[in-house]
Amino acid sequence: MPKNKWSRYLALPMLSFALILGACSGDEEASPEEGGGEAETDGGQELENGGMYSIDDFSNVKTNEGEAIDGGTITFGLVSDTVFEGTLNWNFYSGAPDAEILEWFDEGLLTWDENYVYTNDGAATYEVSEDGRTFTFTIGDNVNWHDGEPVTAEDWLFAHEVIGNPDYDGPRYNSDFTNIEGMEEYNSGSADTISGIEVVDEKTLSITYIESTPSLLTGSIWSYPLAKHIFGDMAVADISSSPEVRENPIGFGPFKVDSIVPGESVTLSKNEDYWRGEPNLDGVTIKVISSSTVVQELETGGVDLISEFPVDQFPDNAEMSNVEYLGAIDRAYTYIGFKLGTWDAESSTVAYDPEAKMNNKELRQAMWHAVDNTAVGERFYNGLRWNATTLIPPSHPEFHDDSNEGRAYDPEAANQLLDDAGYADTDGDGLREDPEGNPLEINFISMTGGDTAEPLAQYYVQSWEAVGLKVNLEMLEFNSFYDRVGNGGEDDPNVDVFQAAWGVGIDVDPSGLYGANAIYNFARWENEDNERLLAEGRSEESFDLAYRQEVYNEWQQLMVEEVPVFPTLYRAVLSPVNDRVLNYAIGDGTEVYLNELAVNAESPVTAE
Amino acid sequence: MWKLIVRRTLITIPQIIVLSILVFILAQAMPGDALTGLIDPNIDPATIEAMRERLGLNNPWYVQYIDWVKGVLQGDFGQSFRFKMPVSELIGERMINTLWLSLATLILTYLIAIPLGIISGRFNDTWLDRAITGYTYIGFAAPLFIFALVMLFIFGFQLGWFPTSGSVAPGTEPGTFAYFISKLNHLLLPALSMALITTVSTVQYLRSEIIDTKQKDFIVTARAKGSSESRVYNRHVLRNSLLPIAAFFGYEITGLIGGTIFIENIFGYPGMGELFLSSISLRDYSVMTALVLLFGLAAIIGALLSDIILSLVDPRIRIK
Repeated sequence: MPKNKWSRYLALPMLSFALILGACSGDEEASPEEGGGEAETDGGQELENGGMYSIDDFSNVKTNEGEAIDGGTITFGLVSDTVFEGTLNWNFYSGAPDAEILEWFDEGLLTWDENYVYTNDGAATYEVSEDGRTFTFTIGDNVNWHDGEPVTAEDWLFAHEVIGNPDYDGPRYNSDFTNIEGMEEYNSGSADTISGIEVVDEKTLSITYIESTPSLLTGSIWSYPLAKHIFGDMAVADISSSPEVRENPIGFGPFKVDSIVPGESVTLSKNEDYWRGEPNLDGVTIKVISSSTVVQELETGGVDLISEFPVDQFPDNAEMSNVEYLGAIDRAYTYIGFKLGTWDAESSTVAYDPEAKMNNKELRQAMWHAVDNTAVGERFYNGLRWNATTLIPPSHPEFHDDSNEGRAYDPEAANQLLDDAGYADTDGDGLREDPEGNPLEINFISMTGGDTAEPLAQYYVQSWEAVGLKVNLEMLEFNSFYDRVGNGGEDDPNVDVFQAAWGVGIDVDPSGLYGANAIYNFARWENEDNERLLAEGRSEESFDLAYRQEVYNEWQQLMVEEVPVFPTLYRAVLSPVNDRVLNYAIGDGTEVYLNELAVNAESPVTAE
Repeated sequence: MWKLIVRRTLITIPQIIVLSILVFILAQAMPGDALTGLIDPNIDPATIEAMRERLGLNNPWYVQYIDWVKGVLQGDFGQSFRFKMPVSELIGERMINTLWLSLATLILTYLIAIPLGIISGRFNDTWLDRAITGYTYIGFAAPLFIFALVMLFIFGFQLGWFPTSGSVAPGTEPGTFAYFISKLNHLLLPALSMALITTVSTVQYLRSEIIDTKQKDFIVTARAKGSSESRVYNRHVLRNSLLPIAAFFGYEITGLIGGTIFIENIFGYPGMGELFLSSISLRDYSVMTALVLLFGLAAIIGALLSDIILSLVDPRIRIK
């Protein structure tokens, strides 16, 4: 049993929320893709330098051992410290636990490859018109709902109509939808139909978008149909609470829902009519387990697979004998941001303030040089988080610029930068004053959650103090933190520096986080080159991959130079899998599908 | 007697009103709301603002409060933002679990407390008594959530005697005998964990009560008349000592509510306590206020119950 279990429990109410840091762009695939990584035997291999691990030593595909038996059932552990909400429909769900359940019995019509680009291997195929604006989709003839009705173009249109309806109560209506021709007119009630969507025949649908951008191909098409023969007669506002969503949810995925115990478990059996072929397994049981008991559940074989492994428990359990750890690079990064302005709610743009306390490029560059994130990753996370270099994480191998080193730990360089910029210690107290000679106090806020949050933030404060900067730290709970950073556009003027994290969508375009009219541009930073590059990355020319890569390499370099925020850590996701499980993988574009999932024994292997 | 009950009930009404206002103001003072966690660059902030407006989150607290009271008076606690279902339905789903858990805990508490208290009181200052008081001191000192985790680890995972999470085995048909057994099996360990800790104060009460009573004059008289020792204890000492325990019953209910919040989280048992904690963290106000009101109500009724029992068994304290 992990000895630090108690403290973990104490942090329990906050833990799960502090980790869901938002900004996932509404793309459902939970796990990111891993670059490299060769197959290996059992568990993560410990490196020579005592207790350090590296994501490169993990594979994202399970090693198959033995022969698959016919049928069998497995248990999937949904790791969550809160129950699942039970809004079991892609068009309405909002919590991550619900999405984990949905994965098993429903899916999108389109699939994507390891670079998150839509492929033609899914339940539907697509063609793009010459001008890149009109997409024609053809749904496979063998794609049927669990009740035997075919999945039709009408269903797909219906999903768009429901999400675009003013009474819709889910979180999906976003820029992906407003980019469809006629959607805003439909949403405001001035049109009865969405002019840009056309049902060609029973299985064919065409959608015309206002703006053609390469982002359309990476997750910006809504590919989850809604069964019109079931929901068609309901009022839109009633769908999310209807028994057809909560008690007998429907999909067209590899398994069907048999029964649900609200908030704690779901039992599923195979869908023999699944379009990719009949699943190997007879059924799946999904049950909620708490993050404090994950290890025990895995060791006793209580669960075969889990949704999310608390990575901080890995070092103590790396040798667990009955599981293989799969690993992948998370689509996320931790960062430190500088407040360079405020939010102008009137015009919905950033009000960049050249006079802001932190608005000195050298000061920001120096603060990046002053911190040793390699050490942070090793000391706090045993190498399972590691030094981040640019604002496009390596989970996007096509666009992450490997050759860009970011700013390495170099206190000398930090001191030099500060000296040159005029931040000198004029009163001899060991701390620098600002160029005008006034005392400089920087207010730094960070989020609580987990055992290491505070010591980690303290480490940054000490590192900055080592180069002569006085930084005051305040630890805040998730909601207060984002309130003060300016989640609602009302930034707290007393905040100068903040530490947070972004989970990034499968689409690489960062304009939702750094554009001048993005409210989540918490740094409130505005720059001409930045705007130009972000626009170029979305432009039609960017359908050319090499061009787009060049644009984003330039953008990554611009951010290293200007430092409105700097990335601190990239992270790994780990997923232990019971040895009896075959044909399983995490990440995207693995071409391993749930209908192939199998076991080589009736019951799970238990730990020795 | 009736006068007391009516008066005592009348007092609870303003208590509940004050409680509900307090809850509302405190909820308002918390940073963030149900939509704060929705940090998604794809969603236009204007859409979020419109949702806020529609949910009435921008209104001042007293407007929200009046709206809420209007609903409550009609039995409508509003809609849970997170679960997208009516709060009353949601709580109803969870309340059954919590009620069973509390009931099982209560039964176990008294099953443990009464024999231990009697033995300890009757044979006070023997080794047996010292062992029992020793246990009660440990029980006082051990935090419930740590004790529960240890129980879960030993009996749930090491020995595998009990299921480790949930309130029923997945896929069991509701209404069948197997369903009932599975439910019972799932709540035994959490109930036992809680009972073993909460029982210690009752053991102590009973013990000191018995020691106190057995030195009273009427006991001496009973012995002098030649009553057997067992008759003295069963007829005279025990009866008189159990009275305060009965009065303590109402407060026990209040204590249970606090306990289930921890226990339900540790055992992944979806009841009201678990719902309460997650509603606070996710700012699901409608659920949170309804639950606080229910908890408050339970506490007030518990106290009322205690007062009533007390006045029934001890006419001296009845208010004139």
